[in-house]
Amino acid sequence: MNITEPMFLAMTALVDEPRHGYGIVQEVDRLSEGHVQLKIGTLYGVLDRLSAAGLVELDREEAQQGRLRRYYRLTDDGAKVLREEAARMAATAEAATVRLRARTAGGAA
Amino acid sequence: MSLLEQRYRSVLRLLPASYRAEREEEMVDAFMELSGEAPDEVNPRPRWGEIASVLSLSLRVRLGGAGASPRFVAWGEAVRLVALLGLGYQAVGSVNQLLQWGHALAFGTHVAWTGPPGSVERLVSIVSAADLCSAVAFVAIMRGHVRTAKVMAAIGVAPTLVYMLIPMILAGPLTDRPLSESATLVFTAAPVIALLLGFHSDITPRRRSWAASLWPAAAGLAVLGGTWLVVALRPYDLDWLHLWLGFGTTILVWAAGAVVVLARRSSPPWALAMTATGLLLLAVRLPLLDNLPEGASWTMVCAQCAVLWALSTALAWMGARGLPGASGTSALTSEVGERSG
Repeated sequence: MNITEPMFLAMTALVDEPRHGYGIVQEVDRLSEGHVQLKIGTLYGVLDRLSAAGLVELDREEAQQGRLRRYYRLTDDGAKVLREEAARMAATAEAATVRLRARTAGGAA
Repeated sequence: MSLLEQRYRSVLRLLPASYRAEREEEMVDAFMELSGEAPDEVNPRPRWGEIASVLSLSLRVRLGGAGASPRFVAWGEAVRLVALLGLGYQAVGSVNQLLQWGHALAFGTHVAWTGPPGSVERLVSIVSAADLCSAVAFVAIMRGHVRTAKVMAAIGVAPTLVYMLIPMILAGPLTDRPLSESATLVFTAAPVIALLLGFHSDITPRRRSWAASLWPAAAGLAVLGGTWLVVALRPYDLDWLHLWLGFGTTILVWAAGAVVVLARRSSPPWALAMTATGLLLLAVRLPLLDNLPEGASWTMVCAQCAVLWALSTALAWMGARGLPGASGTSALTSEVGERSG
């Protein structure tokens, strides 16, 4: 499955603890340093896809001010996929860094 | 309930009822937390970005995305089949045109197809070559390359739409234009719109064989050969025969396909997709009746329209009856693509 940036960030937001919708939005904002601000419609599209793929699942439900609040957690499969994706991205970033270093060294020479 | 919550709930009505029943409360909770305190006196409204995200979610769910009910999965499948059938038709047309150009250039016949070098006709012919992108789009989607297919389909249909839209716009209000122009516009754009909407990010298209992907080339050859044969053999007193060439051949092929779908009691998506394509063909054929004098040709077009209408109605009835319930769980085998995950 193709892991988009919002999916990657949403999964990352759930690594340490289960979170509810707004909790995920807040955490994604923090993780991306404000670059990714999930809209609610986008968030639930992401959660639908991750749930359908078995990468996140419902943790618990609570009632807050008469409204339903659902908490989601990362599954073991989700943690595995996230780890693989993070490694792939790290390798890509490392390749870019190496090339940039070589370019800088070439320019200085 | 605050004004903002009330308005956000109104926006959520864009979503299917079955999805709202499952998600509305937690979406409202998340939105209200995100929006913070917003007193009614400041007349608060959900931002356009939030509305757009709900609209996008709604389209995806209605077209069989993750979280969709079996009924919407079926609708999504039907839309994707309309895209495949429509692109297949456009691909046959563009292969046919390519062969005619090749023949004209090779043998110096039918110069009107290409025009003399440096002429406007030649320029139009060259720009029209973008039609060939529709054939590339068809092969791309059959081979599972969604992005390429979408770009190529949009390029392929653009010249035709521009040629049709510019005279329509310049000639006055669209409502004053003949019905045939609007019908042709919808007929041309519908498969591309179906492709753009139906093959969304939750769908992984099936990768089909090269043989299945290249059938429009063979069909284009057959159509061209058949057309030349009929033109060569046509007795002069049978003017109505030309009504079965080109578009008429498409009606014939569609009718044969419709009978097969009905006889085999194919899945609801197939029945619905054939209904939609049949109605598109009917919309293009029907206005021709205004331009024909009464006689054999007029009667022939009437017969074609009657066949399209009767088979489309039967297909719609079969498709609607077979659709799963809005929140049902009946299994549906995907024939076009599979949902990711």
